[in-house]
Amino acid sequence: MKFAIPVLLGILPLAGQDIKMPANLDRLEAKASEVVNVQLDGALIQLASRFLSDKDPDEANVKRLVGGLKGIYVKSFEFDERDQYNKSDVEELRAQLRAPAWARIVGASSKKKGENSEVYLKTEGGQITGLAVIVTDPKELTIINIVGSIRPEDIRDLGGHMGIPKIDIGPDKKDKKDKDKEDDK
Amino acid sequence: MTKTGQEIGEQQRVDNPEPRTFASVLRSHQSMVFSIAYHFLRDRPAAEEVAQDVFLQLHKRFEEFESDAHIAFWLRKVAGHRSIDYVRKRKSQAAVDIDDVPVPSVDGEPEDHFLNRRLRLLIGSLPEKPRMVMILRYQEDMRPEEIASAMDMPVRTVKSHLQRSLAMLREKIDRSMGDVR
Amino acid sequence: MMDDFEKQLQEALSRKEPSPFFEARVLGAVKRQARERRASMRMWWATAVAAVLIVVAVSVWQHQRNEQAREEATGREAKARLELALKITSVKLQKISQKVEGI
Repeated sequence: MKFAIPVLLGILPLAGQDIKMPANLDRLEAKASEVVNVQLDGALIQLASRFLSDKDPDEANVKRLVGGLKGIYVKSFEFDERDQYNKSDVEELRAQLRAPAWARIVGASSKKKGENSEVYLKTEGGQITGLAVIVTDPKELTIINIVGSIRPEDIRDLGGHMGIPKIDIGPDKKDKKDKDKEDDK
Repeated sequence: MTKTGQEIGEQQRVDNPEPRTFASVLRSHQSMVFSIAYHFLRDRPAAEEVAQDVFLQLHKRFEEFESDAHIAFWLRKVAGHRSIDYVRKRKSQAAVDIDDVPVPSVDGEPEDHFLNRRLRLLIGSLPEKPRMVMILRYQEDMRPEEIASAMDMPVRTVKSHLQRSLAMLREKIDRSMGDVR
Repeated sequence: MMDDFEKQLQEALSRKEPSPFFEARVLGAVKRQARERRASMRMWWATAVAAVLIVVAVSVWQHQRNEQAREEATGREAKARLELALKITSVKLQKISQKVEGI
């Protein structure tokens, strides 16, 4: 699903990022049909927060979620042609996420479709202090880094609110999941 | 022998040199300024009003003047202009025909004799500019060139005014003297 | 050289003295004029200072308003970017969940 993606150029330094985006990624902008580049440091997040209404339940919820965040960084490229980026570009990123503080909590891939999705959490002193998401497929590369205390499910569950689409889980897969749970009991 | 106004002023300055202050200038020149306005307007209170305005104007620009002569010339010039302006504003000064006025009552100067009064009346009947030319010439003893500069008019116009006014005055005085006889 | 008639004219037009109080009246008027001029200058300065203060106050107010407007514009833009970032993240996480739960 393609989003209406304006090209947003960050104007602030990336000092707040947990992971360093490979410099090579910048050249992908020229090849991509759609680019999203969001860079919000703590100050900008707080400023944005002031414009979230306390009276609207969805906005109030988001305000609470982002309250403690120090940065949100999203780089997303969509290409018309396959294999416009190098796997080595992504490897450089993964290498950073092998640091002790980081742990991969989810990995899902499809060799058939060439898709790969990973979710990493950073913890310090038993507290979540960062989230990283890497999604790759032949025509897409998305890298997300959120710095601060956040639970992935809280963001996931924003689906259906504030104009964020809710991706419905198919009925077959749902039944199987529930069935598996019952079997376990 | 009667001294002219200018001679009187100069004598005063020679006899009583004093530092140039506004008060001293006022004292030295008040009769000159008043007389120009008085002979022109033939009205004491109006003449004092005009004279006061002239001195107030002098006071505003007092520092600009470099010499007594400069001040005196300026005072004569402004007194002349102000008097004419006063008449125009008032629009009440009518030319007086000597034949219509039985006895002059404005002057009231005990030492004046009849001829002087007649002459003053006749001068008062002149149109504004010739009247002022005559006053500056015969009260202040100014030369035609000086009068021309003070009144912003050509010298030949000053001379023409003098000539015609004198001729008119002579004729009217002769006529009235003839009537008296 | 003046003739007798002109000399008579000079006599007729000899200078007269103004009233005895003329000099005092003029000096009084001069003092009043000076006082009025000083008051007028003070009024002028006060008006000028007031005008300058008003201009400064309006400039400061306008500057603050402009700053406020700029901050509001920046804030609204930041909010839009935040919503976009959360949208992308949420969709990706939902899809990942979907894939994980579908296994």
